[in-house]
Amino acid sequence: MKRPAVLISLLLLTFAAISCSRFHNAGTGSKDARYIVISPIYNEIIWALGAEGNVVGVDLSTTYPPEVKKVQTVGYHRALSAEGILSLHPTAVIHDNNIGPPQVVQQLQQLNVQMKTFSSKNDSFDGTKALIREMGAYFHKEARAEELCNTLDSQRAASLEKVKQYADHPRVAVIHFGRASNVYMVVGKGGGGDGGGVSQMIELAGGQMAIENRGMQRMESPEIIAQANPDVVLLTDYGYDRLGGALDQIKALPGVATSNAARNNRIYRIEENVLNYFGPRSGENIAKVAAIIHQK
Amino acid sequence: MTKKNGSRRALLLLLAFITVVVLTASIRYGAINFSTTEITRALASLLPGHPEPTLDQRIFLELRFPRAILCLLVGASLGVGGTLMQALFRNPIVEPGLVGTSSGAAFGSALFFVLGGAIHSSTSLWSLPIAAAIGGVVSTYLVFLLARSREDGRASIVMLLLTGLAVNALFMSAIGFLSYIARDPQARSITFWSLGTLSGASWNAVAIVAISTILGCAIAVRYAKQLNALMIGEEEATYLGVNVNRLKWIILSVNVVIVAVATAFTGVISFVGLVVPHILRMIGGSENRFLLVGSALTGATLLTLADLLARLVVRPAELPIGIVTSAVGVPVFIFLLRRRQYVF
Amino acid sequence: MLTASNITFRVGNKPLLSEVSLSFTPGKLNLIIGPNGAGKSTLIKVLARLLHPQIGKVEYEGTDISRTVEAELAKRRAVLSQAVEVAFPLTVREVVMMGRYPHFGGRPAPTDQSIVDEVMGLFDVSAFGDRAYQTLSGGERQRVNFARVLAQLWRKGSDGHSGAVSSDTAFFCRYLLLDEPLTFLDIRHQIDFMNKVRAFANSPDVVTVGVVHDLNLAARFADQIVLLNDGRVVATGAPIEVLTRERIGAVFGIEPVIVSVESDIHLIFN
Repeated sequence: MKRPAVLISLLLLTFAAISCSRFHNAGTGSKDARYIVISPIYNEIIWALGAEGNVVGVDLSTTYPPEVKKVQTVGYHRALSAEGILSLHPTAVIHDNNIGPPQVVQQLQQLNVQMKTFSSKNDSFDGTKALIREMGAYFHKEARAEELCNTLDSQRAASLEKVKQYADHPRVAVIHFGRASNVYMVVGKGGGGDGGGVSQMIELAGGQMAIENRGMQRMESPEIIAQANPDVVLLTDYGYDRLGGALDQIKALPGVATSNAARNNRIYRIEENVLNYFGPRSGENIAKVAAIIHQK
Repeated sequence: MTKKNGSRRALLLLLAFITVVVLTASIRYGAINFSTTEITRALASLLPGHPEPTLDQRIFLELRFPRAILCLLVGASLGVGGTLMQALFRNPIVEPGLVGTSSGAAFGSALFFVLGGAIHSSTSLWSLPIAAAIGGVVSTYLVFLLARSREDGRASIVMLLLTGLAVNALFMSAIGFLSYIARDPQARSITFWSLGTLSGASWNAVAIVAISTILGCAIAVRYAKQLNALMIGEEEATYLGVNVNRLKWIILSVNVVIVAVATAFTGVISFVGLVVPHILRMIGGSENRFLLVGSALTGATLLTLADLLARLVVRPAELPIGIVTSAVGVPVFIFLLRRRQYVF
Repeated sequence: MLTASNITFRVGNKPLLSEVSLSFTPGKLNLIIGPNGAGKSTLIKVLARLLHPQIGKVEYEGTDISRTVEAELAKRRAVLSQAVEVAFPLTVREVVMMGRYPHFGGRPAPTDQSIVDEVMGLFDVSAFGDRAYQTLSGGERQRVNFARVLAQLWRKGSDGHSGAVSSDTAFFCRYLLLDEPLTFLDIRHQIDFMNKVRAFANSPDVVTVGVVHDLNLAARFADQIVLLNDGRVVATGAPIEVLTRERIGAVFGIEPVIVSVESDIHLIFN
């Protein structure tokens, strides 16, 4: 009954979707609780706690740990569908207040779907531990939560020890590529929101943030970086790879060329989830960040 | 009745039948499939004396059913809008959004995404559609204002086209700027909204879009004969008794209203308004009464099919519907174009 | 009776018509001639009320038409243009039926269908009924347009006049205006057209005003000729009065030899 052209297009689309295997997986877990978790950090902690057995759906942006890909995805966290979520029959939808569109959130509420957010935020080490403990309590994995916190603390201590061996305290400028705005941005010191963890990690790793302003700014004016004159420039992975890692192109970004970093070719790549991230891996990450910024 | 009229009637009946079939599929299939019994039970739960609806039944009644109806209405609006625009501009390559309506609506919503985050109000569910509708009306009015410099008949329609292009470009770059200054999540919201989605469907939305669509289509059909006359030129239409200026205003107003209101609830869904009138012209000629009714039906069908695909292909996630309409619309259009010796 | 009184029409500062006063009686074929840029088309458009003169007025049967509602005027006045662009695929019958649009609301009545049949028969395009207008040649298209224009004025009956007069409008007469309609026609069709126009114009309630380029055709078919130059009326009257050697030489810049054969005059240009 369908028109041939539509049928062909349907087949093509289906083929494309099947090739992306994340969309056609069987649900996991047969216990009573069924969770849909829409937050990469929450999912990472859940897997670290060993509570993943009851997770039946995750969002598209959740990619760690690799095992998470076996779970069905409900789509991009800002373009959700109430029906899609409910088709997995969740007992609760766990999110970090970054979901949309607003109409869908309202639909979930009006259908009395249990919506859960954790009050702790992973914006610092203490915050991360509080979150791990809070989630541990929720999923009845308190013991494992404590273990994770202890591991985090000891890894952090070990990293800080390693950091002591570096004598210098380089001024670091961090450049991040905002994919939705399609523009390079410079990460400033402190502040929450986007880039909030970056300055903490840099400072723990024995560096200083070269840019004083809070939050992220577009690199419109070359003065932002030129005046700061950083010793080291870090680019997060996507932004770095986008220019093919070509130093001359990176130096062509506003204000970079005249800096110490450019002169000494101290321009490095860093994974976003190492630097702009607070979670169970942050303890070891300090050492990784330090290793990068203290390179000569 | 001439032979041609007879076959057109039959065609419209066939289209109506297909629309009903597609509507049924849309109601039944999706991330959750509903059988006929389940649907009947869900509807029955509304009657007094019946037990409260279960979650699944509520999903059907509050999410699936209004969404299916909204698809029909928005599809009809876009289809009719396309026919009206092509008749008015006497040009087959125009879209309802050409006089700035779509880009204005998109801009209004982008503004809402960027600023609305700072303004938390409980009326925010309506703020987005209102912002979009205002944007659509403002941008269209701007186009009229700028294009009105000449009273000379022919120059006017060309002026409308050119001014529409300019205003569209203006608003698209404004949206680009908003994406630029927005934070990442907001910018992504803007992107996804400009690809269109039916996921926000509710009975309230259906009520409002129903009013604008039905009213708009009824008015449009009333002017079908005058639009026919316009096909042989503005001068000739005047000689046939058409007040061309008044017709332009009425038709453009109808177009703005039905497209802005639809876009306000679903985001920008392009390509439907361009393709639907063409398909219809290829199978039944250019008489506008046939085209308008046919476009409403065909637009409704195509959008419902597109939404069905959007919901099925990557379930439980959804594709933005704009991607589906383009992916399906383009091959169909090319296929039809190559089969018939289309006269343009 | 169609009268134009002291018409001045300007575009910007440039006057296309200056102080033009004319009257056209029914039952006669009136033709306007003149060199390029004389304002002939403009005059037809002013008479048809497509254009509004800055000074002066046009009256149909004594009524100033500047205030008349478009739809009402269309029931009694039809204009045949030089060429008509059709933007979308339309059948021939659909195009001709448009001539009846001023006369029906939603759907065409059986009368309208019959009239369309009659005019299509008159112009020999009945066989083209279902063909797309775009597939016709220039001459065939013009026949279709002429059919459409006459359909607008036609009263049911083989000659277009014998049917009942409808009282749906204040105007009694019918007004046929032709703006260089012969441009794309070959000689045979030009003569054929003019014969048909002549026949239609003979009716005592039809006022016919047309613009032609060919002076010989004008001489042969017109009852009254209006000679226009530079937006002004140079002369009006019967062909034999208006078409003199000196006048034509002065206006067109080329002098003909005028030959009289019986009561007709023929102009020969070297």
